[in-house]
Amino acid sequence: MASSDAALILPPGTVERGLRRSVRDYGSMVRWHLASLRIWLMMLGSVQALSGVGFVLGISLFYRNIPTSAALFVSTGVPVINLIMVGFVFGPQLVASQRTAGSYEFLRTLPISRAVTAAAWYTVCLISGIPAVVVSLVVAQLRYDLPLHISLMIVPAVLLTCLTGTMLGYALGHAVGNPMVTQLIAQLLVFVIFGFAPILYPIQQMPGWLADLNWWFPFRHMAVVVRAALTTSADPAVPTAYVVIGVWAVGAAALALWSLGRRP
Amino acid sequence: MSKTARDGWAFRVDNLVKHFGTVAANDGITLRVLPGEVYGLLGPNGAGKSTPVKQTIGLLKPTSGRITLGTHDLVADPDAARQLCSYLPQAQMPIDSFRLREAIELSGRIRGAEMAQVRRRTTELIDALELGEWSRTLGARLSGGVKRLVGFCMATISPGHLVILDEPTNDVDPLRRRLLWEQIRALGAQGCSVLLVTHNVLEAEKAVDRLALIASGKLVAEGTPSSLKAADRAEMRLQVMLVPGVETPALPAWGGSPVRVGNHLVTTIAEADAPSGITWAAGLIDSGVAEEYGLGAASLEDAYIRLTSDIPVDGSDGEQ
Repeated sequence: MASSDAALILPPGTVERGLRRSVRDYGSMVRWHLASLRIWLMMLGSVQALSGVGFVLGISLFYRNIPTSAALFVSTGVPVINLIMVGFVFGPQLVASQRTAGSYEFLRTLPISRAVTAAAWYTVCLISGIPAVVVSLVVAQLRYDLPLHISLMIVPAVLLTCLTGTMLGYALGHAVGNPMVTQLIAQLLVFVIFGFAPILYPIQQMPGWLADLNWWFPFRHMAVVVRAALTTSADPAVPTAYVVIGVWAVGAAALALWSLGRRP
Repeated sequence: MSKTARDGWAFRVDNLVKHFGTVAANDGITLRVLPGEVYGLLGPNGAGKSTPVKQTIGLLKPTSGRITLGTHDLVADPDAARQLCSYLPQAQMPIDSFRLREAIELSGRIRGAEMAQVRRRTTELIDALELGEWSRTLGARLSGGVKRLVGFCMATISPGHLVILDEPTNDVDPLRRRLLWEQIRALGAQGCSVLLVTHNVLEAEKAVDRLALIASGKLVAEGTPSSLKAADRAEMRLQVMLVPGVETPALPAWGGSPVRVGNHLVTTIAEADAPSGITWAAGLIDSGVAEEYGLGAASLEDAYIRLTSDIPVDGSDGEQ
């Protein structure tokens, strides 16, 4: 036993709080998430890129001569799907599997603040989503020779879209206690986003009541800000869209952090 | 760390009550663990021994009562609880995608230790628990016992003042189990308070300094293993291994209240009745009802059975 005492690490003398600790914890948690997903991350990124490319190329099968406007609309909507899919759909399923495996409690007892844990997971969602966005846009450009015009507004559009999707998924995963219910809701969300959110097709093609209903949800607004940052269109709905997405981001993050810190 | 500084980190639970609806999972539990002490929480399945742990580490909130570590109120400040306490849960750690060494090192970093220290200590723990051959193996390819040991290393590489271990020896082979107990004792020697949750009475008897028995959410006894056995000092433990499938044989009047778990029939008898007990047990072997028997001093398990006798024995504690 004596030989194992040489490098003992003593317990902390005080409770450490503040920015320095948070920055260090953030780095450790990003590494933790990346390592814990290492088997899946490449596969997840590849599936995301393939599904984005599938949407981009698939649209040409609907038309003999695809109009540039249609190709542009779909190609600038696909990045939204790429950016929210990991955080919004895979995230809650991951939490559900941790609950089922019994490891969820351990992760909640790590000495990391809830906000830092959420920030690290957001970073991982960005890391896994952005390459798929790039691949989808490159393939779209090669296939359709689109008039893309990428402005600096792509940075806030990507960051906020991914943040809102990630926090919504985070809130769902942590607030719903039953893993089976979480899985079912996540599946339902995929169906709703692809079928009934105006991301890949114009909102004008929806019934009026469904278009009005969509105004209250963040998905159409995500498409507005990302599309505006990828094209020269000056959509007057952009400022409002940022506000709606921002409100959803803050609300979802608050619900997620409350759920994480809840002690029944 | 000086003795005075160590004593400032005592762990106290005062009159802890936790209700789930109308069910009292904990009903007025009070205990104190000193730095350097290995303290066992024993009880049957469902007795409520994991609930104080979950309230300590911030997973549950007490209905009433206090939990403190040194001057820190762990109920009011769950962030402090997570930094000052280390926790090995009963479930396996989520390490399928991690290499063994990587999982331990990253846990050390998450617990706030410097990388150079973490690397040295990881090497020592891997050597001490003889895990070297799997050092670079992915968690998904490790056996349950090795995963359990990795979990112990992850929880204790940079230990808190209170180290909580929930069934740490589950799935671990007998050789490494001994090595694991050495490391648990080393944590105590380092000044950590160790709270050991287990239903493995025989192991706890050898490993803990003091222990508490919890049954039906209440603390029914507390003391050193010797003090809890004191009431059984003039008694002996008669254990008979029955032939599988036979009816439980009736004991003579001196036979006390036997308990059968699987094919083990155990009872405590007075020292003066030992010759009668031997004759009776030998007779069972001769008649083909039993395969072997043993007679020895009463153990902590006998005290455990006596003190929790109103709790049904379900036979699932077969790890003993």
